[in-house]
Amino acid sequence: MNDDKKLLEVKDLAVSFNTFSGSVKAVRSISFDLNRGETLAIVGESGSGKSVTIKSLLGILTGNATIESGEIRYNGDDLLKYSESDFYKIRGKKISLIFQDPFSALNPIMKIGKQITEALILSNNMNKEDSKKRALELMEIVGISEPELRYDQYPFQFSGGMRQRIVIAIALASDPEILICDEPTTALDVTIQAKILKQIKKIKNERDLSVIFITHDLGVVANMADRICVMYAGKIVEYGTCDEIFYEPAHPYTWALLSSMPDLETREKLFSISGTPPNMLFPPKGDAFAQRNKYAMAIDFEEEPPFFKLSETHYAATWLLHEYAPKVEMPEILAKRLARMKEEGGTSE
Amino acid sequence: MTKYIIQRLIALIITLFLIMTIAFLVVRLMPGSFYDNQDLPETVIQAINAKYHFDKPLIVQYFYFIGNILHWDWGTSIAIQPNVPVFDLLKTRVPISLQINLISLFISIPIGIAAGSLAAIKKNTLVDHFISFMVVIFISVPSFIFATALQYFLAYKGGLFPIIYDAAAAMGTQKAMSMFLPVMALTFSPIARVTRYLRAELAETMNSEFLLLARTKGLTYRQAIMRHGMRNSFLPLANIIIPMFTNILGGSLVIERIFSIPGMGGMMIDSISVSDHSVTIAILMFYSFISLVTMLIVDISYGIIDPRIRVGGRK
Repeated sequence: MNDDKKLLEVKDLAVSFNTFSGSVKAVRSISFDLNRGETLAIVGESGSGKSVTIKSLLGILTGNATIESGEIRYNGDDLLKYSESDFYKIRGKKISLIFQDPFSALNPIMKIGKQITEALILSNNMNKEDSKKRALELMEIVGISEPELRYDQYPFQFSGGMRQRIVIAIALASDPEILICDEPTTALDVTIQAKILKQIKKIKNERDLSVIFITHDLGVVANMADRICVMYAGKIVEYGTCDEIFYEPAHPYTWALLSSMPDLETREKLFSISGTPPNMLFPPKGDAFAQRNKYAMAIDFEEEPPFFKLSETHYAATWLLHEYAPKVEMPEILAKRLARMKEEGGTSE
Repeated sequence: MTKYIIQRLIALIITLFLIMTIAFLVVRLMPGSFYDNQDLPETVIQAINAKYHFDKPLIVQYFYFIGNILHWDWGTSIAIQPNVPVFDLLKTRVPISLQINLISLFISIPIGIAAGSLAAIKKNTLVDHFISFMVVIFISVPSFIFATALQYFLAYKGGLFPIIYDAAAAMGTQKAMSMFLPVMALTFSPIARVTRYLRAELAETMNSEFLLLARTKGLTYRQAIMRHGMRNSFLPLANIIIPMFTNILGGSLVIERIFSIPGMGGMMIDSISVSDHSVTIAILMFYSFISLVTMLIVDISYGIIDPRIRVGGRK
């Protein structure tokens, strides 16, 4: 892989939170990179450290968070060494964030137009007329009809989907290079979800953005992502291209995630992962997923598995891939589905 | 909106009428009368009774009272300043009280806002703990304790300020010096209230997603707090500041007494102790009117400052 294609590179990032009961290891040494113009999805259940990871990218972690180690390379600089005023130069301008909940992300008592133009005027030194023109343009791009009228309205006059479009418009206002989407459709209806995803995809292609897409829903990323990282308990357990993760998953956690996703053919009771994620106050020894993993072996409780290479782009951290491990096949339900999907020649949505 | 205001005004008049009735009954049914401890000849008492209809049953007196008020006649004082109409009596007292109270209010708001914002921004630091500690003291200790303490330490021991209010002095340094202590005693509690309220509001707003979004879209921390945090926390502050005025008025009843301020407070207490009923009722009505109007202002102001009600209610 050519190095100057890499736009953002995260190395060994570890973040913990100081709480009254001790130090919570939210992110435990993860590494990934984002290439120019690609969409990288980070998938994992609640509490797996996805949001913490992207908050450290933007320097907006809460006060009790400590970055234990690692570096985040962007344009040759280590973002973790950035001061608040350095971050000010990249937030919104180079890296933008789309929030999870459009209902709480907009200031309820400020006009929509002002919320879009505010950053343009304050940090890009644009004048009022230009910024208004730009805001109307952006509203058009994200699919708001009658932008002139909408410009002077307040968030409570917008539906959830419309608000999320505004949040996207705000994120795009200063023409960022990287767009981070933190579960942008979780708070929305399924029909609106599809529209918003389509919009993000379209904008991404038109503006040649690089996107980091955070979600817990593999179905959402199937059509969007070029590459997928699967996170569990603060670690990346498997990463590969979209096709590799969907058609040749190798980690038992990815199997479980994929099996718990319904599709049109699902007749039997939906698979659910038993147990709960480990308490990150006391990260387990060995593989964090071992307790919930029916394929777990003795070594899984003792030692953390390293990444095993499956292909140039596909790696998974599970002892099952070790040459001495017994040959284990993925669950039948998943195997059947994969076969079906391959036949249809496309990923499910 | 107009319909709403008219509705509220009608309700205000009905409430005032009810308060008037209750005030009349309560004051008249109090034991003791103007004649106690006075050696008046029987004929004089009869003459006074006849003049003020005191010889009629209470219900008849009530109708006389209502009838007079409809003609804007609040009666005449019979004990405090005999034969002076109550309304004229109030006219000389109200400005003095209002002056002290409004000055206290206008001093406490900016101080409270500054302290509250500081506490919220520096939440859980030494600064915040210190401010919160002071807030607890200022809220829980009644203003008359502060008043006597200030009077003793700053005026009597320190000799920095006059001990009592100088009513005769013209507007100027001397007047300001004599007003300093009562105003100070009156500001402690409102400052603490504003501080506590703003700290809670701002701390909550600072945790909000939209403040985070303001930062991620490229505003500095300071800009985000000023433009999104402050603005949003001031909105609910409006509805505690206006009623606080009524609170200060209540506190000043006692403070005026301590500093010998010839305002409403002193007169109210005097009129009760000498059974000058029409004065007591008039003062009660004045206070009720002020509180009802402030409540009305709060309700209406919400419709003006909060776009969610202003625009949402228009339809």
